[in-house]
Amino acid sequence: MATAVASPPTSAPPRTSEEERVRAARRRDRINAVAWRLAGYAFFLGLWEFASGRLMDERLLPGPVDVLRTFGELWASGKVPGAFADTLTRIGIGFAIAFVVGAAIGILMQNRLLNGFFRDAVTIGVTTPGLIWALITAIIFGNRPWGPLIAIVLTTFALISVNVAEGIKALPKDLIDMAKSFGVGVVRRNRQIVIPHLAPYIFTGVRFGFSIAWKVTVLTEVFSSSSGIGFEMRTASQLFRLPEFLTWILAFYVFALLLEKVVLEVIERRFFAWRDTIKS
Amino acid sequence: MAEITVRNLHKEFGVGADKIVALDDVNLDISGHVFVSIVGASGCGKSTLLNILSGIETPSHGQVQITEDGRPAAKGYVFQAARLLPWRTVMDNLLFVQKDRSEQTRARCQRYLDMVQLGDKGRKYPGELSGGMQQRVGIARAFSTEPDVLFMDEPFSHLDAITARSLRAELQNMWQETRKTVIFVTHDVGEAVELSNRILVFAKGGHLADDIDMPLPFPRDVADPEVAVAKANVFRTFEQIGALAVS
Ligand SMILES: Nc1ncnc2c1ncn2[C@@H]1O[C@H](COP(=O)(O)OP(=O)(O)OP(=O)(O)O)[C@@H](O)[C@H]1O
Ligand SMILES: [Mg+2]
Repeated sequence: MATAVASPPTSAPPRTSEEERVRAARRRDRINAVAWRLAGYAFFLGLWEFASGRLMDERLLPGPVDVLRTFGELWASGKVPGAFADTLTRIGIGFAIAFVVGAAIGILMQNRLLNGFFRDAVTIGVTTPGLIWALITAIIFGNRPWGPLIAIVLTTFALISVNVAEGIKALPKDLIDMAKSFGVGVVRRNRQIVIPHLAPYIFTGVRFGFSIAWKVTVLTEVFSSSSGIGFEMRTASQLFRLPEFLTWILAFYVFALLLEKVVLEVIERRFFAWRDTIKS
Repeated sequence: MAEITVRNLHKEFGVGADKIVALDDVNLDISGHVFVSIVGASGCGKSTLLNILSGIETPSHGQVQITEDGRPAAKGYVFQAARLLPWRTVMDNLLFVQKDRSEQTRARCQRYLDMVQLGDKGRKYPGELSGGMQQRVGIARAFSTEPDVLFMDEPFSHLDAITARSLRAELQNMWQETRKTVIFVTHDVGEAVELSNRILVFAKGGHLADDIDMPLPFPRDVADPEVAVAKANVFRTFEQIGALAVS
């Protein structure tokens, strides 16, 4: 949770009963929030388990217990880690290319003429759904390896460009001038002002870009690949193995959540802690 | 000893119909341990002059030279807003403008933080301080480099009267102790009379209209009749020049 408990100031006055009450109320509120969240899980999983075999045929809608068991089996067989490795490699390479291309365009767009040159292409890049690129690249490239890569680059480069361009436009001229007036050199200025200023913009671009890249990759795999999570989903659905199909979806969620909640939030907390100090 | 020489300084912004003359043929010599105030209405080029002197902006024509015993002088700048890096702690903000990070330098930074009564705030981020505290960090930062020439652009105008007053006293002490050259921009004639040896009056269109000597001894008490007379004289000069347009 973002509401990290602030450490009390060193010269804290003795806590009043009023403060105690506020604290207690906050704690109750937090417990409440967690309880409702857990209740949500219990309810929907329960509904699913209930529906499976009662409202619908078990083969059409296997229950969560069934899916979890299949998940365990697939994991143990090495199929899940293998498919993830394939998909992740694609995302890694594709997104790295998208990042470099996107950042370069974002920097070039500072020039008025080049801005005109790239602007509409970037707008199209931002607005076109990943599904379209996944389809187009599937049609053009079939299951050749660069199909998904091109789809990833096309769907995400513009997000990076837009964010980098915004960040550069908002460079804190007052701070840079301050540094110049004190005779601070250009290397230290870049390291201590320009990069920390751009970091949140780049982070936002990467964060959104990555979540889109992830979906597009799986989509292109569904359409055209011969390995990866999307491919496994397609195979499972074609073979009518619904527990397996749902397992892959489950794996997809678990991984996305892990990435979003753990990796990205840790990075955010580690590098952007100072932002909490800005008064709202 | 610091020497500031300004010759035929001219600065304009924009082109054609949008052209604005910010400074018009300014000539100036400042040398040694003096406290020079620059006053004048809003938009008459005071900040532009400081920005050119400090090297942030370049002149359109004319020359500016600032030396300390013949070498290029070290400069410090206190801005109207604090201009701190929000992602660095107070201490790191001071260290950011230093030549090195030695123990000695750290100790010096700490000393100046103590001097503005923020000695215990070194590990805080600027966002955790009040506006007045941030401004004091900006002042400590400028002093901590122990510059030969210190530029200050309305450093107290955003502060409440009481904080401003105590900081003026601190500034005067520091100036007396460190024997720097200070160039101080202000809207406040009282402040200029209280602090400076010399007052430069700028008029609309960016030209230097008057150059007033202020020989009274420091510290100056505003209630002192001599100081009151000096202040009245400066005001009269302003009226004659028309420099005191509402700002
Ligand atoms: N970067 C800039 N681009 C265009 N015009 C500028 C720029 N900086 C200053 N000016 C113009 O130059 C003139 C002088 O500005 P300056 O900031 O030096 O005034 P000032 O005397 O400091 O005013 P104030 O007391 O309000 O701070 C103003 O008309 C201003 O609009
Ligand atoms: Mg100004």
